[in-house]
Order: sequence, then C-alpha cells, then structure tokens
Amino acid sequence: MLDDPHFGFIFAAFFVAGLIVLALSLSIWFDYRRVTRDLFTLEQIGTRRRSEGDRG
Amino acid sequence: MSLLTYANPQRFLRFVHYALIPVLVIGALISATGLYAAFAFAPADYQQGETVRIMYIHVPAAWLSMACYGLMALSSIGTLVWRHPLADVSARAMVPIGAAFTIICLITGSLWGRPMWGTWWVWDARLTSVLVLFLIYCGILALWNAFEDPARAGRAAAVMTLVGAINLPIVKFSVDWWNTLHQPASVFRMGGPTIDKSMLWPLFLVAVGMTIFMVGLHLAGMRNEILQRRLRTMRLLAASGGDDA
Repeated sequence: MLDDPHFGFIFAAFFVAGLIVLALSLSIWFDYRRVTRDLFTLEQIGTRRRSEGDRG
Repeated sequence: MSLLTYANPQRFLRFVHYALIPVLVIGALISATGLYAAFAFAPADYQQGETVRIMYIHVPAAWLSMACYGLMALSSIGTLVWRHPLADVSARAMVPIGAAFTIICLITGSLWGRPMWGTWWVWDARLTSVLVLFLIYCGILALWNAFEDPARAGRAAAVMTLVGAINLPIVKFSVDWWNTLHQPASVFRMGGPTIDKSMLWPLFLVAVGMTIFMVGLHLAGMRNEILQRRLRTMRLLAASGGDDA
C-alpha cells in the first residue's frame, strides 16, 4: 500500500481523524482536571453547596 | 434498577466513576481491531484501489455525526417536555463530540473525493447538508456559551436543536432526492448492503468501536458539565458570602 499513488490521501485521512479524536479526548480530560482543581480550591476555603451544608 | 435511578446527578457521577475507563478502553480496542482488519484482511476495491480504506474512518464518522445529533435531539425533548435533570447536561456534552465527528467526516470525505472525483469539494446536496450540520453544531455551541444561566441556555439550545433536526432526514435522503456526485446509500438501504462482506465486517467493527468510544466521551463530557454547574453554584455562594447557606 505504501507505493500506492494515493497513499498520502489515505495517511492524511487517518492522521487527521486520529488528531481530532485525540484533541477532543484531551480537551475533555483537561477540562475535568481544571474543574476538579477549582472545586477543590473552593472547598479548601470553606465554600459548601446548600445540599452539603444540610448534611452537616 | 431503572435508568431513572441515574437521573440523580450524584448517582450518575458514581456510575461514571466506575464505567468510564472500561467503556473507553473497550471502544478503543474494538476500533483498533476493526482498523487492523480493514488494512490486513479487507481487500482493495476493484475500481478505487487502496483509497477505499478511507471508507473505514469516513463512514463511521458520518454515522456518528448524525447519531450524536439524534441523541442531542432526544435529550432536548427531555429538557423541554420532562425537564429531566440530566437531559440538558447530556445535550450540552454531546455538542463538541458531534461537531468533531462531523468535521472528521467532512475532511476525510474531501481527502477521499480529491483522488476519486478529481475535486476536494462540490456543492452537491449530501456534502452541503453535512456542512450545514456542522454549522448547526457550531451555532448550538455558540448559543450555549451566550447565556450565563445554564438552565436558560439549555432551553434555548433545545429549541434550536429540535429545529435543526429537520436537517437529519435531508442528510440521509439527499442522495435519493437529488442528483449528487456523492454515491447513494450502500449499507443501510432497502434490499440490503451492496458492499461485499469482506469489507462490511471491518466497517461494522470500526463503527461499533467508535460508537462505544463516543459513549465514553459523552459520559466524560456529562461528568464535566455536572461538575462545572456545581462549581458555578459554589462560586455564586462564595461571592454572596453564603458559605454557611
């Protein structure tokens, strides 16, 4: 397949698709890390949600 | 235990905590197996030669671009009709995933079209309707970000999603309703698939794997959205000095 005249198109299609899926997965992962870090920071300074406050 | 059990965000987060990694790993493994089969066992096409391999990523991405929108539309009904607590969370989390699969479909289609059709792009009904689908995804994403209050954003996005759902049958049947350069349906059609079995089973394997992986990304996105809303509430409480509320 490497000597196929259209190998570049095939490679580019799979490369771009992989790159987009990777970027999407990483953005979701980094978003999760950011939001959990911010939640932890708020909890450290004593902020609680009402539902958690009710539970004591 | 019914699905309604997971309507509680706390229970849903616990479910995601245990299910997320297995779902993503299973999806990735099945996709990788399907792609290996697509290159190792599936034959080259008698007309297109090796270029037909692009089908194994283009077609599942096209299916998922529509499936994601279909799930968004169902979630939007859940938001507007039942006000299900996780419905707009589900719809919000699906937008970037659906947009990603749609852009993969468009780019891989273009890379397939250039050597086979002699052009990167034509304004035929199938290609144009998929481009419109991508623009609708972008519009819904912009709408979500235009509102400060996620509940208001959810209702506005749900209305736009349901209006945009009219594009789904147009995408699907565009190749039948109009004369297009894009080929007609060759898998989901009356009379059965026209693709040979040797090419069909790796295609289905990739499609199933990518669908499971998409479900994993959706679960992860929903978890982020729930935590994001929790963070917003806590910031509002902190700003109003309501730490003891």
